Amino acid sequence: MSDTTAGASAAPNADERLAYRGVFQRALVRPEIGAAIGAVAVWVFFWAVSVKFGQASGAQSILDQAAAPLGIMAVAVALLMIGGEFDLSSGAATGALGILTILLVRDVAGEAAGAGFSLWVALPISLLAALGLGWWNGFLVNRTSLPSFIVTLGSFFVLKGAKLGFSKLIVDQIQVGKLDDLAIYAEENGVSDKGYGLLDKVFAGEWIRNEHVWDSRDWVYSIGTLAGLTLVVLAVYEFHFRRKDVMNPTGLIGVVVGIALGLAGVWQLHNTDGAGANTIGAALIGAGMLVGFIGWGVWRYAPHTQSDTTAGRPDGVTAPLIAGVICFVAAVLVGTWMDAQNGEDLTEAFDLGGGTSLAIAIVVALVAMIWSAGTGGASAGNVIGSAISAAAAAALGDARARVISTGIVAILATLGFLNLSTEQGARAIIFIALTGAAFVSLITAATRGRRHSDRAGSALLLFTSVALVVMAFFVQSESSAPKFRAEAFSFMLAFAAIMAIWAIANMRFEVRRFTDTSADTTARNMLLSAVLLIVVGMIARLGWVTTEEAEVGGSIVKYSVRILWFLGFTAVVSWVLARTRFGSWTFAVGGNKEAARQVGVPAARTKTQLFMVVSAAAWLVGVLLAFRLNTIQASTGDGEEFEYIIAAVVGGTALTGGYGSTIGASIGALIMAMAVQGIPSARWNSDWRFVFVGGILLLAVVANNYIRTKAESAR
Amino acid sequence: MSDTPLLELENISKFYGNIIALQGVTTEVRAGQVTCVLGDNGAGKSTFIKILAGVHEHSEGTFKLEGQEVNFKNPREALNAGIAAVYQDLAMVPLMSVWRNFFLGSEPTKGVWPLEWIDKAEAKRIAKEEMAKMGIDIRDTEQPVGTLSGGERQSVAIARAVYFGAKVLILDEPTSALGVKQSGVVLRYVVEAARRGLGVIFITHNPNHAYPVGDRFVILNRGQSMGNFAKEDISQNELTSLMAGGAELEALQHEIAQAQNS
Repeated sequence: MSDTTAGASAAPNADERLAYRGVFQRALVRPEIGAAIGAVAVWVFFWAVSVKFGQASGAQSILDQAAAPLGIMAVAVALLMIGGEFDLSSGAATGALGILTILLVRDVAGEAAGAGFSLWVALPISLLAALGLGWWNGFLVNRTSLPSFIVTLGSFFVLKGAKLGFSKLIVDQIQVGKLDDLAIYAEENGVSDKGYGLLDKVFAGEWIRNEHVWDSRDWVYSIGTLAGLTLVVLAVYEFHFRRKDVMNPTGLIGVVVGIALGLAGVWQLHNTDGAGANTIGAALIGAGMLVGFIGWGVWRYAPHTQSDTTAGRPDGVTAPLIAGVICFVAAVLVGTWMDAQNGEDLTEAFDLGGGTSLAIAIVVALVAMIWSAGTGGASAGNVIGSAISAAAAAALGDARARVISTGIVAILATLGFLNLSTEQGARAIIFIALTGAAFVSLITAATRGRRHSDRAGSALLLFTSVALVVMAFFVQSESSAPKFRAEAFSFMLAFAAIMAIWAIANMRFEVRRFTDTSADTTARNMLLSAVLLIVVGMIARLGWVTTEEAEVGGSIVKYSVRILWFLGFTAVVSWVLARTRFGSWTFAVGGNKEAARQVGVPAARTKTQLFMVVSAAAWLVGVLLAFRLNTIQASTGDGEEFEYIIAAVVGGTALTGGYGSTIGASIGALIMAMAVQGIPSARWNSDWRFVFVGGILLLAVVANNYIRTKAESAR
Repeated sequence: MSDTPLLELENISKFYGNIIALQGVTTEVRAGQVTCVLGDNGAGKSTFIKILAGVHEHSEGTFKLEGQEVNFKNPREALNAGIAAVYQDLAMVPLMSVWRNFFLGSEPTKGVWPLEWIDKAEAKRIAKEEMAKMGIDIRDTEQPVGTLSGGERQSVAIARAVYFGAKVLILDEPTSALGVKQSGVVLRYVVEAARRGLGVIFITHNPNHAYPVGDRFVILNRGQSMGNFAKEDISQNELTSLMAGGAELEALQHEIAQAQNS
């Protein structure tokens, strides 16, 4: 402790070529950050336009979809891609290994085909076959030194053909089943079910959640998530501010008072009803947050030495500030105006034919293109549509590309918008786009203000926070949907409170501008505890069914055990990647294979093992599918390998190898699952699903690239 | 200790079929001294390093390590005997952090198989300490090697070789890709490594870099050894002219002088 503070005061002797990177800059260079932001954005979008999102059944179907086959495979494929290789046979392998498992146990339904092993034998055999497949892929890639793209493309066609060929040969059908015949046969004949009963619980078990009743479980959930979120904020504090040489214990009084106020507020919210009482509760919580967080800062961090009150006005703030205010006012106006319309459908309400909507789209696109051609990339970055094109231009490095991409985005967006099925959806989109634009502009202004002085930045941030509060009350008073009135309202208020506290803290405490390893470690541990608390809270909420609730019944949600397989697999693989020699070697063989070999890394063996991890994952997915569906089609999994690669790339994994994240890949899988679930639940035409998926991929790659170059150039 | 040189080479030659890649090289490397191998492009420097590092076997001559005659079959054997080579391309993975590169291939672990993980705190501490011994303060060992300057990367490679028990350190053109100031920094590491008791073989084509740090000089030209000198027997100018083949350089100087006069 004492030596870090001593080092802190002696900080200026740092390497002059190495500028200190703050917590936000460091977060931005993490590979998974783009995916995390994208996941939140996609979720908020679908949450606003569809009913199902935000309900337990929606969460269930997204997680289920994300988990298997997509998520588990995406994580394994991301690992392989970090090691610098591709496996195009991974999709077909999932189906092949499921079929193999079923064939090995078949003979019970009166047919002689199949080996008729017990599942306890069949599963290890098919796992061995999977490992053999991975070993073979790795062996071929190492031995021939050909690109794995070609080698595994060969394996893909072999598997695809073998699946169909063997299915037809053995059962004379293009599908193989049924696994649950084992249970039926066992019951009819009074013989052993060959392990089916137990293994079905392991691979396809489900647990049921009924309609929600407030219970002790929810206290665990609320306290866990709230404590977790508080810890996240405190960890950001610890990363961001300079620690004091001597702590000031009077600050702790503030912390205690803050916690007390917050708890009183929660109690008030929970036990009373009515707008007045709720406002008192919210105000108590807000005051508690303010007192608590500032008290924590007084205890721990050095006060702000106000030396940077630079004269003059900060540069580049006026334009985004005005843009932000205009978007903000427009959002409010549009919100009220849209509420006055009663048409079910925008095209109906205005009696627009297909031709007219196309014409409108073209006009909008032309205007956008002219505007985009006329303005520079920097000033065009203020509104969401052009932010996309600015990112595209940055990636493609061409003004023409920006104009063309603006046109394409504008046509698609307008057409999509005019053909939305519900008025509420349309309204939500306009509203969210304008609020988002307002918010981005105001934050831009605050960031630029901070470059001038901490005080200017904080003042602008406070302004943004106040604007958000006004917006929250507008949403609450104008909207008819309960999720806007309650959930969006409270979320916006909470976010505004955190922003305001952040702004005040930045005025009061000194920002750390040098490396402090001990503070970083503390902050990292806080983040880890926060994740643990939140996970415990979520498990309590999702997994724990109280007896009272079981009696109530109501709408039933079934969670599948494959979600746990997905989370467990992601956790284990991520740990292996970050903390073991194998993980280090994976990065090394993907980043610079020759260098790795020179220092004694067994490069060929590492690559082979990576292929074996992928095929073992394909085995797991194949078995999960077999137990879930009982019957597997010969075409199962064919072509899905590209979806795994997309999820990995959306999650920030580089196509060139040596860089990436398995956690990012799992988030990428979540985004894809949200697209699959969100489009039908928003009542859009789901024929267009893949357009959306393709768009997400392009956007993710461009945005990842953009963020990375930005973050790299900033340090 | 000081009587037997770490490495003793006598009339080392290497033939590829009928091509003479290297002939008659004689020199010695002592602990705490820097032996410079000088030569222009194609002089046989790479062949020489490859023999020392165990990539190739020599065809003729004697190769003694601490008085014992040896003949390395592969780089691993040479490495285990304490001869470490730092190549021009550095054997580093630019996207990986300093500490991961430092320990790549030999990570310290905790736990037992199959639950074995890298002792990250220990690895970071050692990496930072070893770099500090070379006179470099790496503030954050988590930063990717790609963000280091060329000189710092060299120092990571040298510190790594020293830490993993090298007795003889072979540096292959460490200054060739660097600017003037960075070269100075690397030369300081070369001296520092020798001061810590290693025998250093410094391969370069720049006599200005070699002369200030070297204790002994071997000059190669077109695969032939042009001599093996202790520092007190040779001046920097003699070194330069020997390296370029003496007479040729004089002729060149003459030509340049003429061109300038006309």
